[in-house]
Amino acid sequence: STSSMLSTDKDKSAASKDSTPEGASKKQEDGAETPKQQLLDIIGNMKVEVSYRKKLQQLKASESKKQALNKLEGPDSEGSVPEGTTEDTQRGKPLNPELVKAASAVASSLPHDKKQTESELLAQLRRHEETTDKQKKGGTINIRNVISEMTVKRQTPAQRSARLSGRISLQLDEDGLRIRPERSSAQSLDSRRYFCCVRFHLKVGKRLNIFTKATEPEHTLKTVSSPTIWDLEFAKEVAAVTAQPPRNGFEEMIQWTKEGILWEFPIDNEVGMEDDAEFHEHIFLDKHLKGFPKEGPIRHFMELVICGLSKNPYLSVKQKVEHIEWFQKYFEEKKELLQEI
Amino acid sequence: MAAAALCWALRAARQVLPSPCPRQVRSYYVDWRMLRDVKRRKMAHEYADERLRINAIRKNSILPRELQEVADKEIAALPRDSCPVRIRNRCVLTSRPRGVKRRWRLSRIVFRHFADHAQMSGVQRAMW
Repeated sequence: STSSMLSTDKDKSAASKDSTPEGASKKQEDGAETPKQQLLDIIGNMKVEVSYRKKLQQLKASESKKQALNKLEGPDSEGSVPEGTTEDTQRGKPLNPELVKAASAVASSLPHDKKQTESELLAQLRRHEETTDKQKKGGTINIRNVISEMTVKRQTPAQRSARLSGRISLQLDEDGLRIRPERSSAQSLDSRRYFCCVRFHLKVGKRLNIFTKATEPEHTLKTVSSPTIWDLEFAKEVAAVTAQPPRNGFEEMIQWTKEGILWEFPIDNEVGMEDDAEFHEHIFLDKHLKGFPKEGPIRHFMELVICGLSKNPYLSVKQKVEHIEWFQKYFEEKKELLQEI
Repeated sequence: MAAAALCWALRAARQVLPSPCPRQVRSYYVDWRMLRDVKRRKMAHEYADERLRINAIRKNSILPRELQEVADKEIAALPRDSCPVRIRNRCVLTSRPRGVKRRWRLSRIVFRHFADHAQMSGVQRAMW
């Protein structure tokens, strides 16, 4: 009966250990992916550490209670879990089951108290794993070094929640394309707030070796070739597949506006009209009359033409100049005729 | 950089392409007369500037008459379909040449049909 009790205890703690570290390890694994995430986590954890530990303990306690009533399945390996699990769950690294089995085998082979030797061995293993992980990340991150350089400002929980939401918004991309112009203001605000709170000097102080130097892309100045026909076709295909029919009237109107069927509101009267010329270019068209004879009926005629053009608001300067040039060409062709007269 | 070009192409295509939801697209004109009218309108648009300028020379009291006669001949030499007088405002749906209201470009019968089915915005049966 005692052995069965022991086995149930072990199973219970095994199950709990497996469930809680999963949640914790996932977070840490995500953090291990990008150095930026690491830093964020470190600095975020600086404040959150205490509460997180308590939370873990609570979680573990509640889950152990639950699973005491539930199945006794768990890992079949005999005595795979030591009893001193408090610190280990907080580290949150699931051990290699083979290692665990090996440890149990070693413990059973030794003459002393099996359970104790097992627990000690597993604790050692865990510590070993932790250090190897830290070394993988690139040097042990001495938090003391990091903190010594920084002065931390007090922050309200509202600010912290805003910053967290800002971080989330930083990561969320729509379809993998960042919407820079819309979110730039929000991003810059958040980043500014974030960096305000942790004032550290960029180049002062010893190196921490948290980040690995990113290798610069070798192709910096490659000329952008115009997209090939196949690229365009592919892009069109993708757009056709992903474009869903509009779910409601608003989306339909958006589509129509994009296609140009619907105008943009508030109505801009000068859509399509991009006349960059000043008023004096429209009115004072005398300079274009240089090719014409200075006296005679033609000059008279052209001055009338210019008077009419200056009052015309519908033509652009280019069109007016073209008008005058056409007349110039026409009269030059008819020059022989005019000489006879 | 190829990826960037592709992204740009994707973005452009996404904005320009119509949605897969089908819309009625008319690929034929109602009849041949309407087609000819369309051709005349296009030509008139092409030659509008030239016609305007040559007419400005013709309808003149300042320039010598010989010049104006030359201009007369020139304008007569232009293709016949380029003059705007040949355009007929036909009904857009039925190609009816007569009884067409300019504002709606529809013949009276079509207009009445749509108005009675309440498909003409702001049009109501008169009663006074």
